[in-house]
Amino acid sequence: MELSESVQRGLQALADPSAFDQSSYRALVDASFRSLRSSQADPGVLDQPELKQIDQILLKQSHTAATTFILEAVKQNADKSTMSSCLEELSFSADKVELFNSTHQKHRKELERLLASIGRCPPQINDASWRLQYHVKNGQVDKVNEPFYLLSLNTENKGSSEDINFTCTVEQLQDLVGKLKDAAKSVEKASQM
Amino acid sequence: MEEVDKILIHALKQVGTEVSEETDSVKQFSSELIVEAVVRCIRVIEPGLGSPLPTSLPPGMSARFRVGMSLAQACQDIGYKGEIGYQTFLYSNEPEIRSLLMFLVEKLPRESAEASDQPTGKSVVLQRAIAAAIKAQLVVPWLPPNCRLPLHGETQSPGSLHSFHAQPLSLPHCTKGPGKNQLKEVQDYQRDILPPVTAQPSHHASVVASILEQHTAELSAAQEWDNEWNSQGLLSRLTPQEYCSRKLTRLRKRIEEQLRSAALPSAESAFGGPRSTSDLSDLLQAFRGSTPSDHILTKGTHFTHTQKFTFTQQQQAAAVTRPSITAGPQSESDIQLCQQEEQLSLQQQFQQLCSDVEQLAADMKHMSVTNAQVLDELKQRDLGNSENEEKMQVKKKTIDLLPDADNNLLKLQVLVEASAKRVVNLASQWEKHRAPLIDEHRRLKEICSNQDLESSRKLSEIKSLHDKIRVSTEEAKKKEEIYKQLVTELENLPQDASRSAYTQRILEIVSNIKKQKEEITKILSDTKELQKEINSLTGKLDRTFAVTDELVFKDAKKDESVRKSYKYLAALHENCNQLIQTIEDTGTILREIRDLEEQIETENGSKTVANLERILEDYKAIRQENSALAAKVREG
Repeated sequence: MELSESVQRGLQALADPSAFDQSSYRALVDASFRSLRSSQADPGVLDQPELKQIDQILLKQSHTAATTFILEAVKQNADKSTMSSCLEELSFSADKVELFNSTHQKHRKELERLLASIGRCPPQINDASWRLQYHVKNGQVDKVNEPFYLLSLNTENKGSSEDINFTCTVEQLQDLVGKLKDAAKSVEKASQM
Repeated sequence: MEEVDKILIHALKQVGTEVSEETDSVKQFSSELIVEAVVRCIRVIEPGLGSPLPTSLPPGMSARFRVGMSLAQACQDIGYKGEIGYQTFLYSNEPEIRSLLMFLVEKLPRESAEASDQPTGKSVVLQRAIAAAIKAQLVVPWLPPNCRLPLHGETQSPGSLHSFHAQPLSLPHCTKGPGKNQLKEVQDYQRDILPPVTAQPSHHASVVASILEQHTAELSAAQEWDNEWNSQGLLSRLTPQEYCSRKLTRLRKRIEEQLRSAALPSAESAFGGPRSTSDLSDLLQAFRGSTPSDHILTKGTHFTHTQKFTFTQQQQAAAVTRPSITAGPQSESDIQLCQQEEQLSLQQQFQQLCSDVEQLAADMKHMSVTNAQVLDELKQRDLGNSENEEKMQVKKKTIDLLPDADNNLLKLQVLVEASAKRVVNLASQWEKHRAPLIDEHRRLKEICSNQDLESSRKLSEIKSLHDKIRVSTEEAKKKEEIYKQLVTELENLPQDASRSAYTQRILEIVSNIKKQKEEITKILSDTKELQKEINSLTGKLDRTFAVTDELVFKDAKKDESVRKSYKYLAALHENCNQLIQTIEDTGTILREIRDLEEQIETENGSKTVANLERILEDYKAIRQENSALAAKVREG
């Protein structure tokens, strides 16, 4: 895992026992995870009794470094050993590493979800209803006599549902079904590597 | 046999047969299990042959018979040479099944094992992980939105997504460079007011994106600087700070030139963009800092100033005229007319003014050029003036000296001589000083060049060291990655195939075989020795017999008792021979008996009688089934 110089400096400060003792270290690690997970921006996340006696600039620096490290670790899907070795290189003591790892493990899933929520997603189809209709004639042609399908796809995107309506002939519907089958097959093939 | 069975069972499990944990030898295989194992093996070995075969035995006797026959046929098609029929599967006996399974397992394709031996790349591992994730998601059944539990939330409902939107963050350590004194106010701001990074972005959803972006930007900047420093910075023989500042000034100069070349034409085209020129000149001003602005620039700004001035005047005029118009009691059309007129006149005025301005600008340019010319001329004249004055003074002095010419000439000669002497004196003195100075200079020059050489040598050393460092870090990284991959692969490998155990067993077997071989050779040598002894003994016997025979025969002619003894001897010899023959015969018979016993045992093991009985029973069952079916057909 590659870390920038400022992050390394912040983490080294965090590892320094003269700057952060055990209780303040725990408080800062907790605050870092909490500030990433919370849905609201909380400017007072560092206002805690354990962190009062620490220089505020150093504290903010370490907080930034810790949050960056956490996010990078989740982004690269770093396992426990990678994180441990990385922290040990920055002269963290064993119990500090242990505490960090356990806290990270606790919040890992949620952070993964947080990172996964960045991006876009096409709407998902939840339901489909159809109707077969028969086109007998129209103003221009006296005898058409063609069946056609009326389809309605119920889709969901970002929690809100929406209907997509369209008509198609039998061939078009067959084409659509064939494409869907192809897609399903490709996904299955991709899973059998 | 146990080891063989274990290996067989392991291989069968890999093929997909469900062998329960308790069965650890082929003896415990039921016929169902045997059929399944054989069918799965055939399917792997030759999919075309195995796919129509069922993996389980049907209940009906005739169907069972058919399955058994087709299985036997398939095995023979694959190339099994041993005796095989439907009874092999239905009424198994251990050795036959074992040999069949061993044959099948040996036939199993080995590609998969070979493929896993090669070290897989990082991308392959990633693709495998992706495939596994997709598989896991495919297994989860789809649920309608109302029935979803939060645990399905990840994959089935998209949740609230937001785009990657990064905002600049203000970090307290950005400005805290070494050697830079921070302002106290900045420190105060950072200490008391600056919110923590997670609270800085205006929209909380962009916190993650902002932090990641910030970090990536820092990393890439550091990397770029590293690259540049290694490729160019080191060669310039400057400290990093000096290099930075030099680069900065260079860049500034270039930007300035570019801007100026872009600003020049627009400043001269009269109406194109007075606004932009003023902006650019402001910018240039800012770039140049405290240095005085040059000629063209002052002109540009001057020009725009005048323009601004006229514009404001116009606006003021308009503002003055407008209230008088609105105050008038005229009708709307009048007002409009009035306004139009006003507008026209104003436009005319404006154009007039514009042309005036242009003219004035051109005049001014001309004037300034002529002004410069005149100034130059003035300077030249001044120079000429002062020269002339000097000349005049010299001439004045010579004229003053003319009246007392001889005296003054003498004086002058003395003066000249004295000055010549002084010059010689000074020259000698200079020579005295010069020699050591030149030496010193040379010495210093030499030192300098030496140092230059030294420094360039060191530079190249540093460069090579840098290269080495880079190469070794890359190598280390690569190796670490490979190690990690191998570790993950090792973890992913099935744990039951303990290679070392197998090799140990194989080694044990080999050593056992060696021991047996030794024993066999010992026994062989013993037999040979015995044979030799027997041979020598028979030879001895023959010889002694011949000698005794001769002696006794000689005496027998003379003596009656000796003749009798000779008869006895012959009888003894014959009897002994017979005895030996009998013993040998017994030995061969014993051996035959042993062979036969072994044969009986093997025959007993294959339970032929029982099998035959069973086959007979099967035959009866099939007949019964057939007759029942026929009866049904008749009834139907």
